[in-house]
Amino acid sequence: MLEVNQISKAFGGIRAVDGCSLGVERGSITGLIGPNGSGKTTLFNMITGFYQPDGGSILFNDQPIHHLLPSQICHRGIGRTFQITRLFWKMTVLENMIVPVRHTGWRTLFSQGVKKHEEERAMELLELVGLTNFRDEEAGKLSFGQQKLVEFAAILMSDPELILLDEPAGGINPVMIEKIMEMVDALNHQGKTFLVVEHNMRLVMELCQHIIVLDHGQKIAEGKPAAIQNDPLVLEAYLGSTEHVGA
Amino acid sequence: MMRLLLSNRIWLPLGLAILLAYPLVQRSQYYQHVMIMTMMAAVLSSSWNIIGGYAGYTSLGHAAFFGLGGYLVALAHNHFDWHPFISTWFLAVIVMTVALILGWISLRTHGSAFVVVTIAMVFIFRLVALNLSSITNGARGLTQPRPGWGDVQWSPDFIKVPFHYMMLVLLCLTIFASWRIRQSKFGLGLIAIREDEGKAEAVGINTMLYKVLAFGFSAYFMGVAGGIYSYFFTYIDPQFIFDVFTGVTMVLIAILGGRGTLWGPVLGAFIMEPLGNWVIGTFGGTQIHLAVFGGILLVVMLFMPQGILPTISNVVKQREKARVANAVSQ
Repeated sequence: MLEVNQISKAFGGIRAVDGCSLGVERGSITGLIGPNGSGKTTLFNMITGFYQPDGGSILFNDQPIHHLLPSQICHRGIGRTFQITRLFWKMTVLENMIVPVRHTGWRTLFSQGVKKHEEERAMELLELVGLTNFRDEEAGKLSFGQQKLVEFAAILMSDPELILLDEPAGGINPVMIEKIMEMVDALNHQGKTFLVVEHNMRLVMELCQHIIVLDHGQKIAEGKPAAIQNDPLVLEAYLGSTEHVGA
Repeated sequence: MMRLLLSNRIWLPLGLAILLAYPLVQRSQYYQHVMIMTMMAAVLSSSWNIIGGYAGYTSLGHAAFFGLGGYLVALAHNHFDWHPFISTWFLAVIVMTVALILGWISLRTHGSAFVVVTIAMVFIFRLVALNLSSITNGARGLTQPRPGWGDVQWSPDFIKVPFHYMMLVLLCLTIFASWRIRQSKFGLGLIAIREDEGKAEAVGINTMLYKVLAFGFSAYFMGVAGGIYSYFFTYIDPQFIFDVFTGVTMVLIAILGGRGTLWGPVLGAFIMEPLGNWVIGTFGGTQIHLAVFGGILLVVMLFMPQGILPTISNVVKQREKARVANAVSQ
């Protein structure tokens, strides 16, 4: 579904991503792991159009997307969350849900901002994350964990085929992590594909069917969770934090 | 009761009725003049608000579009005998087109860089107007025939009345457009851009398109106002009409009343413009009204950083909440 071919990106002298190739299978939950600075987020930013790759190509459903704007890539069906949650802080939770609704054409651009059926869909998704009571609350006033849930639910409003999650479990409590894992799993059963960057190894090993390991901007290993846990290259890359692997 | 105070159902018909009756009741030329300038300030500030308030891009250069509208109308009047009251609506489309192009270039910058670019825009327009003297008559400016219709020149005690209603129509249209935009998907996108442009782009909003369109719409009403203004004074020159201070005033008025709200800019204009005229009338035609303006802005920013209107509506909402909570607890 997603094919990244020989992609590179350098910032000054630092080669953040260096000739990296990887693929994401339709219907899978693929984990993307690697030590800090290994190029995971840079890769995310290239897939979603925030950075232009210096070389290589990215294909989504066999179409090249690396030259498109982030908004166009979103319209193609790739949604993403951010490592540090980003919401429209002064807007209400409901408005945060409505903004991502996909629409095209001039007439819809000037049509009613919040439509009945969109609101219903938004409420369904808020129900899913248990935040219906907060619909008219300013997004900035929610707790950190709730904000993460709103960001996640809002991504679903544009009905993406592929969802990129950048550290979905970062900085939230174990109960919330459990909840997010359940939701990702349920959505996966409904046919959504996920690419997940995460440092919480328990989450990655339990949730993902396939794992890709990056180090220094290159893919060093790939395979099933059990195989990755025992891969000597991976253990070496993670030196110092090996006790988390398989914990 | 408090909720009623903020309701459009009261203020809208009341305000419209007052403005419709105003020139018929108020026969003083001076006060008629002040009202026209007040409505114009409301138009400028409201249309600036579309890009500056909703989308959060602080343009200090909108005087460029105001002036361009003024020049186009004056030229069309002098060369083709197009009546400004009609031509200004069409010529402002040219202003809008120019703004779309300039917006497409300047909206690549953000924050303070954008502010500086827009200031430069005014100076470029002024330089062009000064130096393109074969068309603009350079620093001597352009004069138009005295206002009238057909062969009839309007008499001095009537002359302000048509301008009053022209400006009123423009004010209504501007507010309507601003309201319509705020209610639409487009408006929702603009607010999202103000809150977090990168995130807006990530969730599928073509931010460049939205910003450029907002810039264009806001320039359209600017251009119409400039056209009416140039006919009102029958004389314009580059120093006067391409003035950075015009651009700053409309921004300050919007901030005072409540930037990014529908009625804030209108409220700000109806406070500042009459007050400024009163200060000039009382203390003489020095620059003292600017000092007063600055003082008021300082006080408002200190005690109501969001502007007057959002602060009032927050207070009303808080009281309403407290009242409901009280009712429930009893």
